Amino acid sequence: MKDLSELKKVEQYADQCMKCGFCSFFCPVYQEERIETGVARGKNYLAKLIIKGEQEFTPEMGEILGKCLLCKRCVANCPSKTQIDRVVVAARAQMVKEKGLGFIKGFVFRRAMANRKAMGRYARLMQTFQWLLPKTEGKVRHLPDFIKSLGGRNFPALARTFLREQVKTVYPAVGPRKMTVAFFMGCATDFVYPELGLSLISFLTRRGVEVRVPKEQNCCGAAILFSGDFATARFLADENVKALKDVDYVVTACGTCSSTLKDYKKYLAGNEDEEKRYGELESRVKDATEFIIDVLKVKPEELTLKKEFEGKTATWHDPCHLIRYQNIKEQPRAILKGLKGLTYAEMPNADLCCGMGGSFSVYHYDITKKIAAKKMEGIKATGADIVVTACPGCMINLLDNVLLNKMPQKVYHLLELVE
Amino acid sequence: MKESLIAEFRSIVGKENVLTSSEALKAYSYDGTTNWIREPDVVVFPTTASQVSAVLKIANKEKIPVTPRGGGTNVSGGSVPWLGGVALVMTKMNKIVRIDKENLTATVEPGVVLQDLTLRIAKDRLFFPPDPQSFLGATLGGIISENGGGPACVKYGVTKQYILGIEVVLPTGEIVNLGGRTLKNVVGYDLLHIFISAEGTLGVITKAELKLLPIPPVKKTIMAVYDDVAAAGESVYRVLENGVIPDKIELLDNWVINRIEEMMPIGLPKDADAVLLFECDGISEAVAKESEQIAETTKKYGAREVRIAKDDEDAAKYWMARKAGFAAVYGKAKTVFAEDVTVPRGKIPDLINKCKELAKKYDVEIIVLGHAGDGNLHPAILTDINNKDHYDRSVKAMHEIIEGAVELGGVLSGEHGIGLEKQKFFDKVTDPVVVNMMKGIKSLLDPNNIMNPGKIWD
Repeated sequence: MKDLSELKKVEQYADQCMKCGFCSFFCPVYQEERIETGVARGKNYLAKLIIKGEQEFTPEMGEILGKCLLCKRCVANCPSKTQIDRVVVAARAQMVKEKGLGFIKGFVFRRAMANRKAMGRYARLMQTFQWLLPKTEGKVRHLPDFIKSLGGRNFPALARTFLREQVKTVYPAVGPRKMTVAFFMGCATDFVYPELGLSLISFLTRRGVEVRVPKEQNCCGAAILFSGDFATARFLADENVKALKDVDYVVTACGTCSSTLKDYKKYLAGNEDEEKRYGELESRVKDATEFIIDVLKVKPEELTLKKEFEGKTATWHDPCHLIRYQNIKEQPRAILKGLKGLTYAEMPNADLCCGMGGSFSVYHYDITKKIAAKKMEGIKATGADIVVTACPGCMINLLDNVLLNKMPQKVYHLLELVE
Repeated sequence: MKESLIAEFRSIVGKENVLTSSEALKAYSYDGTTNWIREPDVVVFPTTASQVSAVLKIANKEKIPVTPRGGGTNVSGGSVPWLGGVALVMTKMNKIVRIDKENLTATVEPGVVLQDLTLRIAKDRLFFPPDPQSFLGATLGGIISENGGGPACVKYGVTKQYILGIEVVLPTGEIVNLGGRTLKNVVGYDLLHIFISAEGTLGVITKAELKLLPIPPVKKTIMAVYDDVAAAGESVYRVLENGVIPDKIELLDNWVINRIEEMMPIGLPKDADAVLLFECDGISEAVAKESEQIAETTKKYGAREVRIAKDDEDAAKYWMARKAGFAAVYGKAKTVFAEDVTVPRGKIPDLINKCKELAKKYDVEIIVLGHAGDGNLHPAILTDINNKDHYDRSVKAMHEIIEGAVELGGVLSGEHGIGLEKQKFFDKVTDPVVVNMMKGIKSLLDPNNIMNPGKIWD
C-alpha cells in the first residue's frame, strides 16, 4: 500500500475547494503565468488525484508543487476557506517521503541548516570569501558579471561578526523585572543583521524585560518544513522546544521565524506528545511587533524615532508570515503612525507577497522579479523615502529589487527606526 | 493526438504555449462544477487572433475538437473539453487595448479578467455594469460567451446589452468583425448577438468592444425583513411597480441567513423567513428619495422591519454576507444542485412556493437565494451523490423546479448557460423548431462540428 499518510491528514482541507477559481485573482504566481497548474485550484485538484491514486509524484508534479510561494493570499480570500497551504506542504512532505530530498536540499537542510555549529562554519566560510564579489553599494554586494546567468542578484553582505559570537546568555532587565523572555535570533538576524538582534535586546531590557539568549537554539526550520522535509523540521522543532523553555515569552525580530515557531503544531505534530509540546511553545511565541504593542503595551507615540529618519516618509510592507500566518497587521502600522517625526504612507498593495517565498526565489528568480516589480510599483506610488518591514527574508528581496528597479528607497526593519 | 500536430501548434504559438504533460491536461479537465471532468489532448495558449486562426484551420482540417476556455469559473460544464482535443486557453490574451473616455467604450482581449477591467476603468470613473459573481476569475471572453449577468442587472441588464462589437475567429479560420463601435447599428442581420451566449460553440472571440457607464456617485443599501419568503418575493415587483428601479435586489432565505450568522455574525435577523437586500445608485437626491420609497413600499407589502445602511461600511457588510451565501451553501453538503431558473418577476412568489412544496414532497432541503430583482433565483438542493436514495429524490425535485419555472413562463437558465449541466432539460423545454434553427446555424458556421462539441444539445 502506497504511503499517503501526510496527504490523508489534510484531505479534509483539499475537499473544501468548490473550484470557484477566485484564488486565481490573488495568486502572485498565477498572475504572472496564467496557467492553471500554478494556482491553488489546480494544485488542490492534483493533490486530490494523488490521494485517489490517479496521479504520481512525477518530476513535473514536483515542479508544480514547488511553484507556490505559500504566501496564503488564496487562503485569505477563499470563499470556502480551503487551507491550500496545508495541502501543498503536505504534498511536498509526501513527495519527500517517497522520492527523497535530492542531493542539494538534502545537504543544505540536513548537514548545514539542521546543525547550528556547521551552519555557523559554512556562513563563516562564505563571509571570508565574499570580498571576491563586487560591491553594489555600501554593504550590498552582487554576483559578478561572469555568473550573470544566475541573475544579477544583489544581496546584503554577511556580517563580520555573527550575532551568536557577540551575545551574552542573559541580559538583565533595566530596573524592576517585569518578565523574562527568550530571544530567538533566527539565521538571517544571526548572519546578516546582528545589529537588529542587539537593538531588540536593548529595547526590551530598557522596558523591564530580562532577555535570555539560549545557546542551544537552532534554525526555526521554515525552509526545511515548507520544503516538506518533516523529519529534519521535527528535529529542529524539538531542539527549539527544549532550548526555549522556562521563560514567559519567546520573542524574535523575524516574521518568518515567529510564524514557524508558532506553526510547528499545525504542520508537524504527529502525535499527542508533539501536539502538547509544540502547542505549549506556540502559546508563548510573539513576533517583536506584536510583543511590543500587545504584551508590553508600549504606546507608539512614546517611542523615539532615530534622528536619521526625522522628516522621512515611510511605507510598510506586510510580510506574508506576519499578516496572513499570524494576523499581525495593525501593530506595525500603529508603531509607524505613532512615531513622531515620521510620516506614514500606506502602499496600495501592502499585503502582496514580495516574491521571495524562501527557496522559491532560488528556483524561480525570474518569477520572483516579476512579482517584486509589482510590489515596487506600489512603493513608488507612495512617494516614500523608506520601505519598512519586519522580516529579514523580505528585506533581502526588497533590497535586491529596489536596486534592480533603480529606486532611491532604502529598506529597513521596523526596529531599526526606533531608539 | 498525433505528435506532428502538436509540433505544428508549437510552431504557431511557441513552445512555451503548448502543454502536453499529464498534469497540465488534468488541470484543464474541469470548470467550476463538481462532476463534469474530461481531459483535453493538448492545451494551447494563443496570444493573437492570427494564432487562433492558424490553430482552428488545422483543427478544422483534422476534425479535432477545440474547446475555448477563459478563467474556467463557469458552472455549466461549458469549458470542459468533453470530446478531448484542444483546450484553447485564452488567459494570455489579457490586454486592455483601449479605453475611450469620449465614447465610453473599452476595447479588450478575451482573457481580461472582469475585476482587472473594473479596477482599471474605475480610475476613469467608469464601470462595466454586468457583474457575474465570478468576477474575480471570469474573463470577458467567457462572460460574453455565456452572456453573464449578476445582481446589478435589475437596473442595468446583462452582458449582451454592453457588447458593441466583437472580433471572432470562425471554426474555419476566418477572422471577422461583427457589430462595431457605435451604439446604433442596423446593417443586415444582427450576427453579433448570435455569438453572445453561444457558449463557444460557434467561434473564438479574440477582441470585444464594451459599452461602459459613468460610476454613479452615490449608493445606498436597504434591508427588508420578512416572516414569509413569498411575501419577500412579492415585494420585489411591488417596489418596481411603484416606480423605483434599484440596481440590485437580492434574496436570502432563512437557511442562508443562519449559515451566514454562524460564519460571520453581522446581526441578520435569524428568525426571519427571508430578507431582501436592495441597493440604489445614482445622484444623492434621487438615491435618498428612492430609498424612502423602497422602505415605504416594502413595509406596506409585508416587511416586518426595514433597515437602511448607515454608511458605506455598514452597506459593505450586507453585501459581504450576500457573497458568503454561496460559499455557505457549497460548504454544507457533499453535492449541491444549484440551478439558475429564471421567471418573470411577478411569478417569484409562485416559484418560491413551488420550491417549498417540493422540499416537503421529496423531503429534501431546498435553499432559495439569488437575484430576486430579475426573477433569476438560484434554488439549491443539498444532497450527497453517494446517498442514492437522497440523491434520486433531489434529482426529481430539481426536475420539478425546472418544469415549474417553465410553466410559470420562465426559462431553464438565466445566466449560467446550458453546457453539459442542463442538457438533460434543454430538449424538453425548447421548441424542436428552435432547436433545429440553432443546429442549422451551428452547421453553417462550423461544418465539421469542431467548436466545443458535445455542449448545449447531445
